Amino acid sequence: MKFKDYYETIGVPRSATQDEIKRAYRKLARKYHPDVSQHVDAEIRFKELGEAYAVLKDPEKRAAYDQVGNGAHAGQDFQPPPGWGAGFEFSGSDFGSADGMPHSDFFESLFGRQSGRAYQRDTHARGKDHHAKVLIDLEDAYHGAQRSITLQVPVADENGHVIIRERKLDVLIPSGIRAGQHLRLAGQGEPGVGNGPAGDLYLEIGFNPHVQFRVDGRDVFLDLPIAPWEAALGCSLTMPTPEGSVQITVPAGSAAGRQLRLKGKGIPGDPAGDLYAVLSIVLPPAVTDREKAAYLTLSGIFNFNPRPHMKGSTS
Amino acid sequence: MKYVNAEVVPASVVEESCYLSLTELCQASNATEDHVIAWVFEGVLAPIGDIPQDWQFTGQSLRRTRLACSFVRDLEINPAGVALALDLLDEITVLRARLKRFGIR
Repeated sequence: MKFKDYYETIGVPRSATQDEIKRAYRKLARKYHPDVSQHVDAEIRFKELGEAYAVLKDPEKRAAYDQVGNGAHAGQDFQPPPGWGAGFEFSGSDFGSADGMPHSDFFESLFGRQSGRAYQRDTHARGKDHHAKVLIDLEDAYHGAQRSITLQVPVADENGHVIIRERKLDVLIPSGIRAGQHLRLAGQGEPGVGNGPAGDLYLEIGFNPHVQFRVDGRDVFLDLPIAPWEAALGCSLTMPTPEGSVQITVPAGSAAGRQLRLKGKGIPGDPAGDLYAVLSIVLPPAVTDREKAAYLTLSGIFNFNPRPHMKGSTS
Repeated sequence: MKYVNAEVVPASVVEESCYLSLTELCQASNATEDHVIAWVFEGVLAPIGDIPQDWQFTGQSLRRTRLACSFVRDLEINPAGVALALDLLDEITVLRARLKRFGIR
């Protein structure tokens, strides 16, 4: 087990006051909050921050941590001293991590595991609703799909310790689903207590990034590169869509950035989304003498100034 | 791939198919009723119905409520701050979507 330097995580010296710790934590928590941050490792950083703050904000736990951590460095091998924990009793109400998943082994070796739910024989309560995120392919949103998902569920064992159990479910993903929407799986959440009903499981849907398509709500976009003569003269070409190839017509005189809309070819629904082909004009490089001559011929034939509004420029 | 114990479970799309009562929304988002009521009065959520017992929240409210909860839990933001954060986040979402349309990350 590696030692975790909670002060380093929050970015404060060991001598920091409780107020300084709170300020530094808040600032980083805003920066790495997974619902706001665009950082790739936001979720991991945020989880580490939460764990560090759970210890350092509580003077009792901080004192205990300081005692074992005296002289230790982050990443160093670490074992709690023998007899550790005998003199402390931790009673924080916010001991668990935010998402219900256990903290790191390091944390648990020092402060114990979160205790499981207390089961009382005569109590009946509805189980809690659970949440998970699921990434699907854009094509699944067009056709619908059956997906096997594996959930890691924290459950309490017979000693009240939290362990992670894997659970497999086959989910029918309806066509027309969009990123950010939630699927509700009734009765698949936490089991109820006593005769209480089980909670529900909510799956938040996201799309795997696609090499070709970008999605905005129901609308789907793709870049369609064309040659200058195809843009100028118009053309008919075959274009991919998530449902297979289609034949489209590029009108003559199309400028770069023009969006060709294929109505109803976005994500299905009522109304269905649209598919947009965004034209980009690709210039062929002039390498051989013949190719250079072709460009020269063009410049001779066209009396064309691409910079009519730019003062001081010559054409 | 087949799993021996896999069960096929039906699913409904929250945003399209259902309205949630105050109790259901709180269960689904882990929010307290007091928080949700405060957010409604702050304009974060706009249920149909006059009194909390009659409130019906649209499916989209689930996402907003979950965000609001995480802001309160992780950043200790008050209802007015939650309202501002969610409004700004909505705006960022629109702007990011616009960038994405043009293939800019």
